[in-house]
Amino acid sequence: MNNPHHLNPTSLKSRFTTRFLRALTKIRAQKPISSSSPTEIFRRYRRIKVAADKSMAYSVRSRRIWSRAMLWKLRSRSYRRQDPCSGRRSGKTNQAIMKKSSNENTTTRREDGVGFVEEADELRQLVPGGETMNLCNLLDETAHYIKCLTTQVQEMKKIADFYSF
Amino acid sequence: MADFSAQSYRQPFPFLDIDPTMESLTQFAELNPQSFILDNSAFNFQTFFPLSVNDSLFSNQASQGETMSGFIHNSNQSSVSAQPIFSAKTEVEEISNKRKALDILESSSGNSSSSSPPVSETGIKRRNNSGRGKRAKSNEKEMEKPKEVVHVRARRGQATDSHSLAERVRRGKINERLRCLQDIVPGCYKTMGMALMLDEIINYVQSLQNQVEFLSMKLTAASTYYDFNSESDAMERMQREKAEEAKELERLMREGYVGIGGVACFHSSSTYGPL
Repeated sequence: MNNPHHLNPTSLKSRFTTRFLRALTKIRAQKPISSSSPTEIFRRYRRIKVAADKSMAYSVRSRRIWSRAMLWKLRSRSYRRQDPCSGRRSGKTNQAIMKKSSNENTTTRREDGVGFVEEADELRQLVPGGETMNLCNLLDETAHYIKCLTTQVQEMKKIADFYSF
Repeated sequence: MADFSAQSYRQPFPFLDIDPTMESLTQFAELNPQSFILDNSAFNFQTFFPLSVNDSLFSNQASQGETMSGFIHNSNQSSVSAQPIFSAKTEVEEISNKRKALDILESSSGNSSSSSPPVSETGIKRRNNSGRGKRAKSNEKEMEKPKEVVHVRARRGQATDSHSLAERVRRGKINERLRCLQDIVPGCYKTMGMALMLDEIINYVQSLQNQVEFLSMKLTAASTYYDFNSESDAMERMQREKAEEAKELERLMREGYVGIGGVACFHSSSTYGPL
């Protein structure tokens, strides 16, 4: 197949789109909505949102701290839902790892000598996995995260427009 | 004039050029260590290479930087003339010629400490005073070597100990990254301070995340609408969904967004079509 615009077939955009579309069809095939109860709709909304985040994180793999943090979060959540015991176990070990790394990096109040602690903390809450990063890495991750978010938003907009004419 | 030469010297100074440059320097220094120190032209040589001196002074992985700055402090800047260039050599070719460089360092330190203080001290002092008095600035420049060694030069009037150096390097990195973010995030003006820019960035990230949530809700609504208004036959619904996905992929492929992966999806989903 020849693409007239010939964008990179392995680009972030195409990887995310294929994954997300596959997940969408899976969701719609799984649970055809019988009733229009708000809980059902909310459940599907949650699933679609999780699918969007998951496909984005999987498209980035483990190359970025935020994608790793997001994947770990999603996995621990799914484990906890499936099997409470195993979820607790894995959650504990993972939490221990995260705490250890966060202790190594965040022993101080994160003053960093630059003096933007409040904004930096707020940014850390927004970016997944931001608590364990110093300001330098945080800005790096923020830039990549913003780029991925914009890609995600663009693609989802296209899909939503397509489905709602 | 010294600054001009420094400037012109600075231009073709990617990290790959360090080795041959330093090598030639050290070779030159090796040839005549004594005369190099005592000669008056050495001071011109000094001013000609303020960059290399400071460059080698502050080339660091942290530990090496500390030893080097401690070294310089110990020598009281009196024997700065010959040593930094050799130390640059140690920095640059440490793996191959470490022992050789250290020997040269020690010999030169012995030489310079014995012979240079009366001659070079005043010269160095004069140079330093001129550096502080005039606008002669040793500019700050960062270079990334393959081993992630960063060379930073001290600005005039700033401290040269290792901690503030590391601080300055970090601040430089943070500023560079903020500038990149400034290009990405709309609504960031260069005149804004760092705090305002961070606020803008936070707002932008929040708005993007909200957009994702809103769009996923829109998709949910669209899918429920389809589920309601489609036929109740499950098979037909499956067919419709596959057809829709295929159509969507085809549209995206036309726009060039999905390549080989999309083609595979398209083919696999098209097999469901004529069921």
